[in-house]
Amino acid sequence: MNAITVKNLTKKYDGTIAVDQISFEVKEGEFFAFLGENGAGKSTTINILCTIFEKTAGEVRIFDYCLGENDDAIRKNIGIVFQNSVLDGKLTVKENLLTRASYYGMGKEEIMERMNPLMQSFELESIWNRKYEKLSGGQRRRVDITRALLHNPRILFLDEPTTGLDPLSRKMVWEYIDYLRREKRMTIFLTTHYMEEVRDADRVVILDKGHIVANDTPARLKNLYTGTKLIWYTDRCIDNETVMNGFDFDYEVDHYIMKFGSVQEADLIGFLYQNRDKITDFEIVKGSMDDVFLDLTGRRLGEQG
Amino acid sequence: MRGFIGLTKRNLLLFFKDRQTIVFSLLTSIIMLFLYLLFLKGTFVDAVNGALKEYSGMASLIGKEEIDMFANLILLTGILGSAMITVPYNCLTTLVKDRENKVDYDILATPLKRGQIILSYFVSAAVASVILTGIILVIGLVAVGVQGNSCLDVIRIMKALGIVIIGSVSATAVFMIVILFFKSVSASGAFFGMLSAASGFVIGAYIPISQFSNAVQTVCNIFPASQVTIVLRNVLVDGLLEHMDESLGGVDQGMFTDSMRELFSFKARLFNGYFDVPHMMVYICAVMFVCVIAQIFLYSVTYKKA
Repeated sequence: MNAITVKNLTKKYDGTIAVDQISFEVKEGEFFAFLGENGAGKSTTINILCTIFEKTAGEVRIFDYCLGENDDAIRKNIGIVFQNSVLDGKLTVKENLLTRASYYGMGKEEIMERMNPLMQSFELESIWNRKYEKLSGGQRRRVDITRALLHNPRILFLDEPTTGLDPLSRKMVWEYIDYLRREKRMTIFLTTHYMEEVRDADRVVILDKGHIVANDTPARLKNLYTGTKLIWYTDRCIDNETVMNGFDFDYEVDHYIMKFGSVQEADLIGFLYQNRDKITDFEIVKGSMDDVFLDLTGRRLGEQG
Repeated sequence: MRGFIGLTKRNLLLFFKDRQTIVFSLLTSIIMLFLYLLFLKGTFVDAVNGALKEYSGMASLIGKEEIDMFANLILLTGILGSAMITVPYNCLTTLVKDRENKVDYDILATPLKRGQIILSYFVSAAVASVILTGIILVIGLVAVGVQGNSCLDVIRIMKALGIVIIGSVSATAVFMIVILFFKSVSASGAFFGMLSAASGFVIGAYIPISQFSNAVQTVCNIFPASQVTIVLRNVLVDGLLEHMDESLGGVDQGMFTDSMRELFSFKARLFNGYFDVPHMMVYICAVMFVCVIAQIFLYSVTYKKA
């Protein structure tokens, strides 16, 4: 069953097209990633799917519910971790979470029944009565995720959830998300501009200037758009370079990097076998999602277009 | 309903947990109190004495205590009138803050109905105003009670409380329309500065509105807040004026108290006519009703981004 079905979704702001006729599907229980630079249209798409923005054109279905017709049902089934924190700094963690839970019509008993396991999972006991503004970045994100899960949603939207976090907090956030994926089989919809975060996704959509430029599994995207690199640790000399005649190569500090396109990958084993006496210190590296993005958009993530 | 109550509770918690906001909400009232202690009381007392001197032999019939009490009650209506303007406005700025910080996204993505969301901001601001102005009313009544006989019975006090509730709700309804057009906290803050400065004059707390031209009086009295203050003045000061009238024993045929009611604006002048208390109550309730309907419509139209 599809958790999300998007057909020809378009969003225009004052004549500017933020999202241009995008179509994609997310299966129930899937870990789906939206990759793109700032301004690519990721957050706009999430805000439309979450009923916050109105779409200009296109069709969106969340499970069996049609966006624009069954918005209340959609809202009951989704949880969102926003890019910027949306909880109240002056209120305590407890006050923030209890008031937010009430927005879903939950009574006190129901809230506490739902809250207790979340408190344990997200280790909130020690910060329960602390003001949200006094928490560290990692602690805040834990509370944000708890808030998104209060009403037991079927889809969790994560809009760049680790932006601005230190490495330890990022790791912690990812452990929680992994737990939700594996243990709860929750559908995860992630937007990010961190390449390494989409490595484990079931499906990745790359968005560039409001258009989808790729839509596949990370492995297939790598196979399609990047090749394999052979890193050969040796000195730079004419003799060595003669061996690599006909291949695309480069030298960096203490090693050659030979690039085998997806078509040439079959030649790699033969090449290594032929030169087994010469190439003794080497490693083989698959292309990264960064390379996929570079190949598709002509830019590395973080570079201005 | 739980969601509506939850959001209302959250808005109230945010307002009452921020002491600075509370102080700034009451800044005009605090300044008014200081001005009263510095010179406003003298102005009010001089105005009463001036009216008394016009009727020979009457000055001895009205005691200094009664004149002081009159000035104190006029001050109390001014403080309450300005608080009923500044407190709801300041509480409503939560809506602008939520918009600017995109907290409204979190609220809009919940099953709360759009009408419930806007009404929760409205109810929380009105409740905050009723609580704070109610406290000021109680403190004020205790303070004037300590000074002497304020001629306020239980019925008048209950009426005053009722006016505080209606005044708070009507001011909130009017400001809700204004606040929906602000997209940044700095813009709404600038408006608040202007509002704080102007409110004391518009409700006639510094200078009685009767001292202005007909056109200015009409402009001031178009705002329900002015009329609320006038109604409150009728409720809180009328008992004392009746007592003064009894003290005069009818020698002036009620002319002194009539002149006081005219000087300190116990009726609202609108164009060439006057609104008395029943008219003002109808006007206030009508404006309140129209504004509540308009705010639900306006919010439903403007909540979706772009």
